[in-house]
Amino acid sequence: MPPKGSRKSASAINKTLVLDNGAYTLKAGLVPSNSQSTPSYDDCSVIPNCIARSHRDKCTYTASELDDCKDFGELAFRRPVEKGFIVNWEAEKAIWEHEFMGAKEALRCEPRETNLLLMEKPNCPKELQKNCDEIVFEQFEFAAYYRCVGPTMAAYTAPNAASSTPSPLPQECLLVIDTSYTDTTILPLFNGKLLQSAVRRLTVGGKLLTNYMKELSSLRHYNMMEETYLLNEIKEAVSYVTPSPQQYAKDLDRTWRGRLGDRRELDSSVVVDYVLPDYENAIHGHARPHDPAKSRMRRGMQPVQGPREDLLPLGNERFAVPELLFNPSDIGIQESGIPGAVMESLSILPEALRVGLLANVVVVGGNSLIEGFMPRLEAELRTLVPSEYLLNITRGEDPVKHAWLGAARFASQPELLREVLVSKAEYDEKGSTWLARRFAGER
Amino acid sequence: MPHVEVLPNSAASVAPGWTYVVDTGYDPSKVAFNPKNKKRAAAVPSGQRGENDLSARQQTAIARRIAELERDNDPKQMIAIPGKPSVPKTQNARRIIQYQRQIKHWLDDEEAQLAQQQQVPPLRRETTGVRNAGLRRQSTMPPTSTEATPAPTLPPLRMDIDAASDDALLDVSGSVPPPLDHATLEALLSAPPLPYSQSFAAPTPAGGPPQRQFCDNCGYWGTIKCRKCGARVCGLECKDAHEATRCLKWA
Repeated sequence: MPPKGSRKSASAINKTLVLDNGAYTLKAGLVPSNSQSTPSYDDCSVIPNCIARSHRDKCTYTASELDDCKDFGELAFRRPVEKGFIVNWEAEKAIWEHEFMGAKEALRCEPRETNLLLMEKPNCPKELQKNCDEIVFEQFEFAAYYRCVGPTMAAYTAPNAASSTPSPLPQECLLVIDTSYTDTTILPLFNGKLLQSAVRRLTVGGKLLTNYMKELSSLRHYNMMEETYLLNEIKEAVSYVTPSPQQYAKDLDRTWRGRLGDRRELDSSVVVDYVLPDYENAIHGHARPHDPAKSRMRRGMQPVQGPREDLLPLGNERFAVPELLFNPSDIGIQESGIPGAVMESLSILPEALRVGLLANVVVVGGNSLIEGFMPRLEAELRTLVPSEYLLNITRGEDPVKHAWLGAARFASQPELLREVLVSKAEYDEKGSTWLARRFAGER
Repeated sequence: MPHVEVLPNSAASVAPGWTYVVDTGYDPSKVAFNPKNKKRAAAVPSGQRGENDLSARQQTAIARRIAELERDNDPKQMIAIPGKPSVPKTQNARRIIQYQRQIKHWLDDEEAQLAQQQQVPPLRRETTGVRNAGLRRQSTMPPTSTEATPAPTLPPLRMDIDAASDDALLDVSGSVPPPLDHATLEALLSAPPLPYSQSFAAPTPAGGPPQRQFCDNCGYWGTIKCRKCGARVCGLECKDAHEATRCLKWA
């Protein structure tokens, strides 16, 4: 229990910075507590969590400055978050200062008069957590602070979040599948608390998919090893998950060129040509159905006058890349896919919990936006789950911001927030070891 | 051969960026990086590799590739922070901000600490046991929870069939899972988080479908094995391309 004085000071401050510090993007927003308006997706800004450097225009872009970038060619990134955990505080500090204390109006706040609710990944090494706590209080000097595992906050909002009203009670049983940039984690929650021993993690996340796409395109077409930004864009635009392994085999046949002397026409309903941006006329590329004549012309010669275009044909890359989420063993990762990991996580829990969790599964994280992801996940889980069990699986309305919204709703209710916040005065008195224990759930 | 030993002197200091790591002994995942046994597989008495077993070289290549695919930052290019950095406010903050360590250093630290706390019974082994039991139960049982209802010891077949069988037919207690035990729940809720390295999902069980093999070059089914390095290709054309670029024979 915090002492009385600190409780007063924590509640006197009625503005909370809710920050989901992801490896790829920061999800941030200032939430006033005890206000009548409930926070919505619009209150959340998604900011790239990186410092990018272009070799071409010799410019360095910090976080949201990336929106002004006009040439993403050979853009190099420095990301302060590695494997989901804040590792490099030099870069993270620069990004936080730029976004929350810089010239930009939208999220500017005075840390001494703001509470911080920071969301992290599960299974964070203790040393890194300690570093984080120390920086928050000693460098930024936030008034009060709470650190929690991000996706657990999804319990405080319903999947169709826009319509629902915030409730002070978390959902009783909730299974969160968080398929994010770094990795994919399975988090069973009971009354908003994480069942830590059942958390499971898959190596496959958006980053691995993008890099795999990059590797395949570089092997088969042009050298794209430096074009991370472009390949991420291509992945988001064209990739899809096949509905079943059988359909995977069919699509693989449709994209096969055939043997020497027995050429096949590529099926243009699957194969697409991606028109690459030249960063003069177009910053972003686009996909269009495959045209064999055009790609033959590409090999011959391009018109000297008129618009030139470079095409990247994409066949089985479109569905073989996101397939890794379901079959990591395709490239030799010795893990079962998402459905297998879900069953593994549930298998150590008592049966009553298992039933409750399966009846309320929510998927968050950017990979779930890949076309066909949800039907495939539901179909594969259904085959693994005993037929008597109810299986209810939904995707958060905006899967990227879903956990943030839960946290924002949590933060907008002063009585909930007061329970968990730790003020700077308390930290100064009791130190970081005490703080780590307290956030770990010990009192 | 003369015995050479580096004696510690006063100049030896703890540099940031590396740490001593406790050697935990045999770790099959690390053997692949640094195979000690350079002898041919055929010379090993345990016999030849199976059809689908990977050579040490292939395992190294796969492990390296996965590490490459999930890397966050390129160590070769260092991007400086633009602008003049603000001064750290405390000594502690300065120390943390100046760390140049990567995530693998922190994870190695965590591993080393775990190894030091070995006297505490390893948590994961317990959970694996439970997990295996759970898996076995799930795969075999029709989940109407045979362990919840006691074994059918009393046969109500002939005795009072009119009263009891109606009850038995209407009885739903067999399909309702046993209620949550408060103590188990408390234990689950208060369990400490697993260390990062132990939170990963298990590999697919051995009885599952075999690993799918794809062409190294074009991504179609890999039906042919390269005789030199064991990678899979789909046909002659891709085999030529494979040998020209990716074959591990000379890697």
